[in-house]
Amino acid sequence: MNEYCFEDLEVGKKESFSVRITEQMLDSFKDISGDENPLHCDEAFAKEEGYDGRVAYGMLTASFLSTLAGVYLPGRYSLIQSVEIKFAKPVYIGDELTITGEITETNDTYGLIFLKVTITDSSGKKVCRGKMQIGVKKRG
Amino acid sequence: MTREEVFEEINLIFRDVFDDDSLVITDSTNSDDIEDWDSLEHINLVVAMEKKFNMKFNIKEVGQLQNVGEMVDLILSRM
Repeated sequence: MNEYCFEDLEVGKKESFSVRITEQMLDSFKDISGDENPLHCDEAFAKEEGYDGRVAYGMLTASFLSTLAGVYLPGRYSLIQSVEIKFAKPVYIGDELTITGEITETNDTYGLIFLKVTITDSSGKKVCRGKMQIGVKKRG
Repeated sequence: MTREEVFEEINLIFRDVFDDDSLVITDSTNSDDIEDWDSLEHINLVVAMEKKFNMKFNIKEVGQLQNVGEMVDLILSRM
């Protein structure tokens, strides 16, 4: 886990990590959220609707933004204040996603960083893009 | 900038932050008058004003502001 404080960070700083979407992740997300929509749970239904298979929950994909902030940028000393996200492409079981955040702006008054975030699949196509606002502990 | 010009710019910031194009603020407007004006949106207001007017505040002075009029006066005092 990274331990960046506000003073360590500047515009342009970037962090990323990768994760593979599994069937168990979708099943766990269904149990946690109660979202039993068949697009995410029923392979046959999803294919009837024109998709390649069960579509990963958008909010499951977006949940890795929590990891981005809480583990990577800034890591230990973070508090997410807002997330704006757009889901550009469906994500499927087996997809390997790369989650990337880059600081586009900082605010010294409140110790904030603003991230441009992108999530890409293994072919490099963006499946999600968005913005995050995160409070970061100051050393002082 | 005149006080009226600063006020007009701040009104635009309020409309943007609260996503309400009909919002009209006055000197006496405070967080009791706007339902969504919580601590997080207060931060967003201050951050937007720092960017708009290219100035920095400290957390103590912005925490003491009682209404929009005091916010305008703080900005004018820095120009």
